[in-house]
Amino acid sequence: MPSRPDRALVLTALICFFGLQSCTNQTKQTLRIGAIPDQNPERLNRLYGLLSTELSKELNVPVRYKAVTNYPAAVSAFRTDSLDLVWFGGLTGVQARLQKPGAEVIAQRDIDAKFTSVFIANTKSGIKPLKNKSELQQLNGKRFTFGSESSTSGRLMPQHFLQQAGVQMNDFSGGKPGFSGSHDATIALVQSGSFDAGALNESVWKSARKNGRIDPAKVKVIWRTPPYADYHWLAQPNLDKKFGDGFTEKLKYTLTGLKKSSKSQAKILELFGASSFVDADQNQYITIETIGRQLGKIQ
Amino acid sequence: MRRLLEIKGVFVHSIRGNRLNDINLSISSGERVALVGSNGSGKSSLLAVANGTLLPDLGKVIWKDYSTSNLGQRQRKEIGTLWQDLRLVEELNVAQNINCGALANRNLLWSLANLLKPIELNACSECLQKVGLSTSILSAMVSELSGGQRQRVAIARLLRQKPELILADEPLFSLDPILAEEILHLFLDNTMTSDMGEERTLLMSLHQPSFFRHFDRVIALKSGRVVFDQPSECLDDEALALIYGSA
Amino acid sequence: MSRLSPTPPILSLLPALALLPVLISILISFHNGGATLLWEFICAAVHPSIQAEVVQSAFRGIQITFSTALLSWSLSSIFGICLGIASARVVWETFLGKSWPATVIRRLLAIPRSIHELLWGLLLLQMVGLSPWVAIVAIVIPYTSLVARVVSDQLDTKDRRALKGLKQAGAGSSSALITALGPAMGPVLLSYVGYRLECALRGATVLGVFGLGGIGTDLQLALQSLQFHDVWTALWLLAAVMFSLEQILSLIRGYFKLSKNGIWQITTILIVLLILCALSIPWLNAVDIDLGEPLHWSPLPLPTFYELIDAIHTLPWIQLISSTMLLTVLAAGIAIGTPPLAMMLWPSQLGIAIQRIIWGLLRLMPTPLTALFLMLFSKPSLAVAALALGAHNIGVMGRLLKEGLDQQSDNHLKALSAAGAGTRSAWLYGCFSGQSRSYLAYAAYRTDVILRETVVVGMVGGTGLGWQLIESLGSFNWAQVIVLIAVFTALTLIGEAITDRLRYHWTGSTKKLPMVVDLQS
Repeated sequence: MPSRPDRALVLTALICFFGLQSCTNQTKQTLRIGAIPDQNPERLNRLYGLLSTELSKELNVPVRYKAVTNYPAAVSAFRTDSLDLVWFGGLTGVQARLQKPGAEVIAQRDIDAKFTSVFIANTKSGIKPLKNKSELQQLNGKRFTFGSESSTSGRLMPQHFLQQAGVQMNDFSGGKPGFSGSHDATIALVQSGSFDAGALNESVWKSARKNGRIDPAKVKVIWRTPPYADYHWLAQPNLDKKFGDGFTEKLKYTLTGLKKSSKSQAKILELFGASSFVDADQNQYITIETIGRQLGKIQ
Repeated sequence: MRRLLEIKGVFVHSIRGNRLNDINLSISSGERVALVGSNGSGKSSLLAVANGTLLPDLGKVIWKDYSTSNLGQRQRKEIGTLWQDLRLVEELNVAQNINCGALANRNLLWSLANLLKPIELNACSECLQKVGLSTSILSAMVSELSGGQRQRVAIARLLRQKPELILADEPLFSLDPILAEEILHLFLDNTMTSDMGEERTLLMSLHQPSFFRHFDRVIALKSGRVVFDQPSECLDDEALALIYGSA
Repeated sequence: MSRLSPTPPILSLLPALALLPVLISILISFHNGGATLLWEFICAAVHPSIQAEVVQSAFRGIQITFSTALLSWSLSSIFGICLGIASARVVWETFLGKSWPATVIRRLLAIPRSIHELLWGLLLLQMVGLSPWVAIVAIVIPYTSLVARVVSDQLDTKDRRALKGLKQAGAGSSSALITALGPAMGPVLLSYVGYRLECALRGATVLGVFGLGGIGTDLQLALQSLQFHDVWTALWLLAAVMFSLEQILSLIRGYFKLSKNGIWQITTILIVLLILCALSIPWLNAVDIDLGEPLHWSPLPLPTFYELIDAIHTLPWIQLISSTMLLTVLAAGIAIGTPPLAMMLWPSQLGIAIQRIIWGLLRLMPTPLTALFLMLFSKPSLAVAALALGAHNIGVMGRLLKEGLDQQSDNHLKALSAAGAGTRSAWLYGCFSGQSRSYLAYAAYRTDVILRETVVVGMVGGTGLGWQLIESLGSFNWAQVIVLIAVFTALTLIGEAITDRLRYHWTGSTKKLPMVVDLQS
């Protein structure tokens, strides 16, 4: 007759066995999509939940959205093949493409070809709206924040324009700029007065204004940057091999084919803040690559 | 003589019966009282009731005009206790331990400063000299001292407190007879007079019958009751047998 | 005798002076705009969001975090115990008669320990991509080495007379070891291994904040988009889980204290570990975390020698290292000095009860979130980073102090207050003094931990090596990353050597150290 410890051991072994077994039942190829976390999580989950369903329906493959919560992680996930299709910002897209030769720029929103950032300032900071780029000099000695450090519209391009105007990073109060972490946070921190000024994505600014989260008495736009190309969909080079020939084309076609006339598709476009997706080309991002190299964000 | 401490109908319960059972006594200023009784007879409880660290379940303990259940800092300072386990703060040195006696009259900053660096060293040395210790040990850690030295440091701390009533819980316990005699004399000769020349009052628990003659009065406890309370001359062999004999 | 001779109690209080510069610099930059946000945040505490989506997401998040913690904890405990035995001198001496292999293993184990789990997580993420194993392995690596260190230290400090006796009586090496040292290890393992689970839960939460999934992710995203009601939903859920875990663990500890059979305790621990390890896998599967997914191994491109040299030349080392050290010193000062200071100033029962609740909340809040939160009212600065890092550790130190004081008799306190000392002085001399040595010893150890944790806030406060490391990772500059990690590891190892000395200094002269201090390393 087995003694007490023996029985316990047998039980443990059984539990271990079932435990391990339960994690080895997986078969069908899934299209894994991801996105850089540039908005609040609820919105991201809702948006990509809808998009996954739509893509799955159109492409006839299972689609799964995997949340990533920081920019470099999204790039790494793409490099390591953990994600098949990712919604990248300008800089992260270039970083990912350089680390994964052959990756293909699939599409962008209608607004992405001519994207802009806005510089905002707290009304008490004494910073006046700028007439031209060189007046960014006003920001010397002020507390200034970017968004996420790998963000194109929240850091890279604003920093580029600042440097063009002759403002160096150590000219800010405290010897360096802050990194709020996201566009929403930049608004909040400038509005609260933690920072005198900041820079962020104009489309986030617009939607925040629409939702009434901005108090015009406390924060105002001081300058809009010249346009540049930003967000885009980037796909792995091996999708055709994985899902069958012509899959990448089909994907491109499906994305650019999303229409406002379909109810479910209209919702997706609305959440993306776009009227449609359009074809995109990697050559649009050469400027970003150059600036990225200048600022040391691309090696 | 003024009544200092009055204990009226005090009971202290515990799981194994009453530790103190209807105690009634009063102690007047200037008295030197020996408290005797076998182990577990309630001596320590009585001393604890007297200094207010143990509140009676029934009855009253009055110090001057105050009940010990709500003594203010000033009144508590007037009652000094020499604990059986001494209760020196092991992490501190001799001077800092002696200064513990003065905490009643000082504020928090003073006590913090004392931890940073022992202060008022002159007062400490004075107390130390009275108990027959060299001032060279002022900066020694108390944990490094011998048993007899620790006992003296504890007495020095008591002197620093300048109490009117001294409660001593078996201070001679675990000392060899010669040392015991020495400590007792030190107690009676050096500590019983205040700086102003007033006589202090003493309530000391002890076991050695040969020392009783140094006291004015002997109180004996047995199973939590007072079984003897008379001038020390009246304590004869018969009484001793009663106190220490089996119930 | 005019020389200062600070005593352990004052040495534990003095670090609180670090609060002065930190609070002053934060108060100077405090502004009205922040007050509204702060008020909103406080109000949201009573009105956590109960929207189905938010609650569901938080509920799923806490399950992921908890099962990740459970799995990584059980794995690291099992590996740690094995490695601990393998790195104990006494074991090698009994089998081979020499102890150098133990020393070698010990030295090697110091390296995984010196790198914070967050760094392991970010590095692994680069190498294997998004996989639930990243978070698990990131915790397992340093925790295994921590457990191993405690196990081997404990084995080596046990009395060896019984072992020698058994060997002389002809017992085999392994049976002699088990009989002589096994029973005493039971309670030690139980206490320490249980404590590690709490750490694992906190660790898994922090990893979440940096994007590795679970409740930390929900918290971070909600706080960053200023959805305070959602933040509180997640916080309360986390609080409930942490509080129940602390209570359950202390119940178990209490229960096992009664049983004296050490071998039985060890067997039980091992069986429980295996079962929990096995259970957490299907649990993770149940919340849609697929552990069976193949890893996408893609090693980092190794930088060339010249790239490394270049990285060494380009980084501002003096500034990076000095700000890391300053951050460590300030945060450690706050963490060490505040709990005794608060208890001294407010030693009443009500005061202590309130402090316990506050310490609990501080432990709960992941450091980067505290920093992010503080920045809503203040400029980002080293002070903010130090306060955030200090605050979390106040929670840990406060709890430790309270536990230590609870175990101590109140004889001294009674004696001093009977002699007329005020409540505060009496607490200081009669209560705290008795704990001060072991508190300091633990504080020395905690300083190590804080140095490692500077990585976590460095990013938010924009200071120190931690921030530079995150920045280099974001630019995928591997040469810089490698050099920075090497420097950081060296710094932590040096720090560990110094604090080990201090620890020995504080505990060396007391005969018996409360177990909790010995074990919580």
